[in-house]
Amino acid sequence: MKIEENILNDVSSIKLEGRFDANTSDAVEKFIREKIEKGCSQFVLNMENVSFISSAGLRVVIIIARELRNEHQGDLHIAVLQPSVKRVFEISGLNNILKIFDDEQTATEAFSK
Amino acid sequence: MYIRFWGVRGSIATPLTNVELEVKIETAVKLGIKAGITGDSQVPDFLESLPLHIRRTVGGDTACVEIQAGGKILILDAGTGLRRLGLDLIKRSGGNPIEAHILMTHTHWDHISGIPFFVPAFSSENNLTFYSPFPGLKERLARQQNSEYFPAPLSPTFRFVRLNEHKQFQIGDVKIDIFPLNHPGGSYSYRITYGNKTIIYATDSEYKELSTNSVKPFTDFFHGTDMLIFDAQYTMLENVEKEDWGHSNVFTGIDMAIEAKVKKLVFIHHEPGYNDEKLYTILLKAKEYVDINHPKVPLELLLAYEGLCMTL
Repeated sequence: MKIEENILNDVSSIKLEGRFDANTSDAVEKFIREKIEKGCSQFVLNMENVSFISSAGLRVVIIIARELRNEHQGDLHIAVLQPSVKRVFEISGLNNILKIFDDEQTATEAFSK
Repeated sequence: MYIRFWGVRGSIATPLTNVELEVKIETAVKLGIKAGITGDSQVPDFLESLPLHIRRTVGGDTACVEIQAGGKILILDAGTGLRRLGLDLIKRSGGNPIEAHILMTHTHWDHISGIPFFVPAFSSENNLTFYSPFPGLKERLARQQNSEYFPAPLSPTFRFVRLNEHKQFQIGDVKIDIFPLNHPGGSYSYRITYGNKTIIYATDSEYKELSTNSVKPFTDFFHGTDMLIFDAQYTMLENVEKEDWGHSNVFTGIDMAIEAKVKKLVFIHHEPGYNDEKLYTILLKAKEYVDINHPKVPLELLLAYEGLCMTL
């Protein structure tokens, strides 16, 4: 999986590309945790180029969002879900606890509101 | 191999309430009116057409599953479902001695509380053996029936066999392998093989690390089984909230089953707080998850309910 980061106004925008599954979820979690340890608490996860998410990916999203909210007064915003991934978010209930946006800019700006 | 589910609930027995029953009846009557039912002959087809959560209850008894293979009766766990299995065994025996082999995953209440009500234990002519890798199983079960908690002591009829978790054992021609699971206080999975068929009973386990490497020991044990009976007590979200409670969810079960090339995946150990509608909704979502993520994989998903039986 390809992981890229852009930082704008203290918001770390992480763009994923590929499958977010049992083979790649550790790398994503490790990448975000390193940013949290450096003091970042506001993240946007851009999943425009993620075509597949498994339970391993879903679990990483939940535990990171929960940790950011409970321990760092931060959050994890989700941006740009492909239809199939969006449906997996819905049937797993993640859409009920996460803020999901149609584009990365709106997801980033939502932190300053 | 023949399998029948006698208890499928986790944590505590959960009888259907009057309110839940009335809702089912009211919904069925309304649907009957809508369908234009006018005669008795239409009733069977109409009942068959009702949604599963209306015409069925998954049941409230706790963990107990029966397997018949090679002329032997194996019982997986001894939750409250064991009571009715015991009565059925007596009925089936026609007065002849009963031989049954009870494999225990662990000794939490929802897996042992049927034992005091297991009527075959009241006759010394029956041959009833418990198996477990845990030391002191007999003492654990005896404590459940101390006079402070129950009027009668543990039946002296029972025999106890302590298993070596690293070693396959046999009951007649049935081969059984054991594997430790992630549960507070420990729990064990059983892989039961007879002829070319296998059933794995893997309840009461939590999988916090879901990377391929982390789940590999489990998926290796589950590999190629005809049926995996999997603890799916919680939703995905509740599973994370209830970290270290020792249970899992349908999505994790599906991904592990697909990795392990399982043929049938049966969800069990249902959360007492979930009613029939919620449980069947979870099953539908689980099927949709497979359709979205693994459309070409022939994995059959089932929700365990009391009375579910099949032959493999």
